[in-house]
Amino acid sequence: MSVVLSSALTAGLAALAAGILWLLGWRLRRAHLWFAPLGVSVGFALLYWRIQGRPDFPPIDATQWAFWHALFALPLGWLAGIGAAYRWVWVWGALLGMLWLFAPPFYNLMQSGYWSNTAGVAYILSFALGTWLLMTLSAPLGDERGVGTPFLIATLGGVGAGLLFYGAKSASLAQLTGTLGAVAGVGVVLSLLRGFTLGRGAVALILFLYMSLWTTALGFANLTVGQLGLLYLLAFTPALQLLPALKRQSPLVRFALPLAILVIVGGAAVGLAYNAYMAQGGDYSY
Amino acid sequence: MPKLFRTRLMAQMAILATLVGSLQSVQAQPVTYRIDPVHSFIIFRVKHLNTGFAYGRFNTFSGTIVVDEKNPANSSIELEIDANSVDTGNGQRDDHLRSPDFFNARQFPKITFKSTRVRKINDTTVEVQGNLTMRGVTRPITARVTFTGKGRNQRGQEIIGFETTFTIRRSQFNVNYGLNGGLADEVRVTFAVEGIRQ
Repeated sequence: MSVVLSSALTAGLAALAAGILWLLGWRLRRAHLWFAPLGVSVGFALLYWRIQGRPDFPPIDATQWAFWHALFALPLGWLAGIGAAYRWVWVWGALLGMLWLFAPPFYNLMQSGYWSNTAGVAYILSFALGTWLLMTLSAPLGDERGVGTPFLIATLGGVGAGLLFYGAKSASLAQLTGTLGAVAGVGVVLSLLRGFTLGRGAVALILFLYMSLWTTALGFANLTVGQLGLLYLLAFTPALQLLPALKRQSPLVRFALPLAILVIVGGAAVGLAYNAYMAQGGDYSY
Repeated sequence: MPKLFRTRLMAQMAILATLVGSLQSVQAQPVTYRIDPVHSFIIFRVKHLNTGFAYGRFNTFSGTIVVDEKNPANSSIELEIDANSVDTGNGQRDDHLRSPDFFNARQFPKITFKSTRVRKINDTTVEVQGNLTMRGVTRPITARVTFTGKGRNQRGQEIIGFETTFTIRRSQFNVNYGLNGGLADEVRVTFAVEGIRQ
């Protein structure tokens, strides 16, 4: 089976699993809170298993934490769903949970001597706080109707995949980011159903998993701090729809502005990474 | 022959005999050689797209070889390879090999081998069993090592040479990228070593 066909099958299977769970949760209404992040979790775990094989537990290889993050961060997805009602539970629960999730993979880089203890602690704290902020500000997108939110989140996966491929030079991390975007893309199809929403937990968990993959690319592959910073800022673009100034605009404008930023800025960053890659020779095709 | 001269000659012969005896006993002891990285090579090859073989090498490594000619079972080898020194003649491919797709060299900067058993096969060949650790996974491997020569280098130091070729399955070390047709699972490794007596 060709690599392209295999990737398509993997993305299709994961998207199907996520889509069924999202649809089920939406139809059952009260279960939406639980099923929305569960769809992301199951979908990502499936695609990881197919791309990378069965991970160990506890992982010997720190990059395998991405798989376990999909499962262990599920309670964060549920917390994000009830965040508005139990603000303090979300604030402290998610912050501590985030630290607990980011510490194990990156502690390995302190052990191997690649990061000093001070740098390692600073990175882990930054990743945890940054991801918490991203999830907090973006989770309300899950209540938005229409194709805008899933389409923007899927596009973010495409931009991330491009930067991880040409910038970080890790084909597997790029493939995981891209296929996670494809899983989010099934939300575009489901959004055609009247009244369908992704759910806060699903949006929060997808963004968490993006951050898990991108920070892994910074720590273990060649993604630069600048590239990670740019990806992080771009991850906020879907949430621009929630700005009061944009809320007053037409649905088309609310969708087009974040998309334009994503495509132009993200596309330029991928273009620069591609040019840098080609300048090195560019004759290696993975 | 004057008595004084005879006595001196006998004393000198006694000292010589003691020296020869002690030299022989030193020769019977295991001898330690430091791997000379300039004159040693670790080369690997793997099949690409089920078509041609891609070759690569590691440029930085160190280790010791202990040789006991009288009792080969007492011989041993320890090797430490810098995973970041992988060199396939293409910088982008080398970056990819260092990435989490292959060696994950930031977390696992060293690949190590430590022998656990050496068994004599014939006068020039031994079978070495040992543990190879790569990407945090340790697996036992067995290799037939051939003695290739012994001599002295330009500095007059005693040197010894060995060579071995063996095959590993990279999937056993969690190096799974491209297994579905891109790159073969089997990797053939050749280790040609020259050691300098310590």
